[in-house]
Amino acid sequence: MALIDKHPELARYITEQGWFEFLREQTLAMIEIPEMQLQVKTLDSLLKMYGRILDAVENDKPFVSSYYCLAPELYTAMDLPYYMVMQTPFLASSVPYLLTDIDAAEEMGLGNDLCTAIRLSIYYVEANLSPLPTCALNLLYPCDGAPLLHEVIKRNERWRNIPMFACDPPYYSDERSLDYFADEMRKMAKFVETNTGAKLDMDKLKETLEYSNQMFQLWDEYNQLRRNVPSPHGWGIGAPQCFSQAWVYEAGTPQGVEWFKKLVEIAELNVKNGVGPVPEEKIRLFWFDLLPFGWVFEFLPWLEEEWGAVMVMDMFGNFPYTMIDTSSEEEIWRGLAKRNLFDAPMVRQARGVADNFANDIARIVKDFKIDAVVWPGHMGHKDGAATVGIMRETCRDLSVPFVHLGLDLFDKRYSTPDQIKDKMSQFFRAMGLG
Amino acid sequence: METNLKSKAFQEFSNAAETLVNPVLQRWKDQGGKVVGYFCSTVPEEIITAAGLTPFRMRATGSTGTEESDAFYSSINCSFPRHCFNQVLTGDFKFLDGIVCVNSCDHVRRIYDNWKRFVPTDFIEMMSLPRKTGPDQVGWYTEELAMLKDKVGKHFGVEITDDRLWEAVKLHNETRRLQKKLYELRKQEKPPITGAETLAVMVAGTAMPKEQYNEKLRELLDELSGTEGPGGHRARLLIVGGILDDPAYIKVIEDQGGLVVTDSTCFGSRLMWVEVDENASDPISALAQYYLTDRPSCPRMYGEHDNRAQYVIDMCREFNCDGVIGERLIFCDSWLVEHYMLGQDLKAAGIPMLKLDREYLTSGIGQLRTRVQAFLETMGR
Ligand code: SF4
Ligand code: SF4
Repeated sequence: MALIDKHPELARYITEQGWFEFLREQTLAMIEIPEMQLQVKTLDSLLKMYGRILDAVENDKPFVSSYYCLAPELYTAMDLPYYMVMQTPFLASSVPYLLTDIDAAEEMGLGNDLCTAIRLSIYYVEANLSPLPTCALNLLYPCDGAPLLHEVIKRNERWRNIPMFACDPPYYSDERSLDYFADEMRKMAKFVETNTGAKLDMDKLKETLEYSNQMFQLWDEYNQLRRNVPSPHGWGIGAPQCFSQAWVYEAGTPQGVEWFKKLVEIAELNVKNGVGPVPEEKIRLFWFDLLPFGWVFEFLPWLEEEWGAVMVMDMFGNFPYTMIDTSSEEEIWRGLAKRNLFDAPMVRQARGVADNFANDIARIVKDFKIDAVVWPGHMGHKDGAATVGIMRETCRDLSVPFVHLGLDLFDKRYSTPDQIKDKMSQFFRAMGLG
Repeated sequence: METNLKSKAFQEFSNAAETLVNPVLQRWKDQGGKVVGYFCSTVPEEIITAAGLTPFRMRATGSTGTEESDAFYSSINCSFPRHCFNQVLTGDFKFLDGIVCVNSCDHVRRIYDNWKRFVPTDFIEMMSLPRKTGPDQVGWYTEELAMLKDKVGKHFGVEITDDRLWEAVKLHNETRRLQKKLYELRKQEKPPITGAETLAVMVAGTAMPKEQYNEKLRELLDELSGTEGPGGHRARLLIVGGILDDPAYIKVIEDQGGLVVTDSTCFGSRLMWVEVDENASDPISALAQYYLTDRPSCPRMYGEHDNRAQYVIDMCREFNCDGVIGERLIFCDSWLVEHYMLGQDLKAAGIPMLKLDREYLTSGIGQLRTRVQAFLETMGR
């Protein structure tokens, strides 16, 4: 009996795996380009992750559903496969059936103003298209959508009896909050041990975190290289790949460290040769969100080709790279709490007060010699939408042009790539850029 | 549908719901009384009352546009905070002596950031409200409330003792009991008060000192007890949703023959169905326990959907409802997903549900009428 017949909930997961295998083939064709060698490695890590989940289902081994900002190093240390319930929109939104699934979510009664990442994920759970884990770690931040998605999960008839735990997020970023959240994470780890039978060996966790620290350190080094003019890379390689390595597929593994070393090496060479993603870098952009994953190829190459506009930094590419102090258990939990709640990209901006919107803009504009700040205004980012005044004022103080677009990162019908291109062109012209 | 409520008490409530500063509140201010605004039903009014101040639940009554706040908010934000912050910018909230915010939703929590940065205010606080409702979170919220108590006390120069807090708890519980009595009257076959009128009474309760409110509410209850409304409605309805503070919205529904006899809304039964435990060991933890765990929750709180759905079903049975209207402000994620789940729960319980999206300022009345009429018809009414 085929796995899919026994486990219909794997239908999308298996298709996604096939899609990535196809993408890997395509990338292999360009293997002489050093960046493509890294892309292949990224896809290898991703496919390994898909393989591990499918193997776990097939052979009745434990695995968990969780999130990048719920200490993925724990699962590495426990040798537990994990996947993100919001994986498709975040990691696989190039899949050809995305728009059909968005429509299906709307038909299900989820409307069209809830973040598409949340709508899709609710759809996958409700339509039995998400792998059923041994236990689930639910996410209650950074936005209103995340806890609501997990409320649906909690209530779903197939998920109802799966043991679940959620870390409660404090709203501030002070010592008291750190201790509270560290305690929540500690309880989460206990919960995983109890419900999967896997053991958390603190020595193993320490080793994993040391690898993870190395990865973050190398990521930071890489970012220093992106300060150069021209930037050694644009949107094509950078934050999404770094993020997926450090926070998702290779969290705290030696392979992850090697991947980052290679990235730094390639970027250094580009800097040395004065090479960037375009022959002439004309505009250095700070894109303050995720990339528009649902329609990346219809927009981002155009920015570079038409305007020489290089995405030097985005929301996922730069945050405080605080190393986790592994000298004591106490510090390990506090370090994990800090990294996952205070530092993690998107969480650091959206979860608490709006200060990080202003602080990140100020820091990145200065450090990366940014010519323009783009607030894409993803339709799900309601807290950010209510922060545009603060962002605009910050940019005004820095004398850097600011544009607010209004789009859906996953659904290109919300604002079409052409409409967005038009807005960008008008903005560049009005600001005398490019 | 109207009941011809003529009493002076009701008129005062009705006027209070139509404006921000009602005459009772104005008198309080004129006599040197202070008023502290707060967002969200999870902020304990009792602490504000215990400091000798009047708590004022934030709304945007009387707003006519969002021209000023458009520079701070976007078109994908809920219209309530957009109108409310517009009024902050135009000075309509100058009567407030302080603000207490909480991270209730993505839209409203940013009012704190914008207000703090752009509008000079002497006292503005943000509390960290947990998402979970377990004992650890009650512990966290107890600390939050203790800190709020200290800050309010320090800023307004009052020592908020336990005695003062217990007094406030008793006063607010009295309000809850009186309001519940009003709801009990609506269980009658011909309720003496409509849903729209009840909402006015409830809104007024968040905008005047509680002693005076309670007095007037007693008057109204005396007037109503033993009386009947005109009856003749086509169906009895429960309304469930968030910040519904405009009686005119409910009136449109009732004018179609759907009498709203109970609710689960921010200005409705969730405010008072349960009381704060007066026998707890200390008032601050009693308040934390109440606001985080004991009172009927809204979708802001995680892991509580089953209880919320049960609450709606129980209320429907208690008030003999024929159907449920789920209202939501456009762009509200919390209520969208809640209604999605609740629709399934109610279906399983055999209770019809109509989901309505709306803007904060009641508009699109024609469409609302048509939808309600169609709903009543599908129920065979
Ligand atoms: S993309 Fe933004 S709005 Fe959507 S789930 Fe993530 S944080 Fe929430
Ligand atoms: S209706 Fe929803 S989005 Fe609007 S203020 Fe209330 S909780 Fe927030």
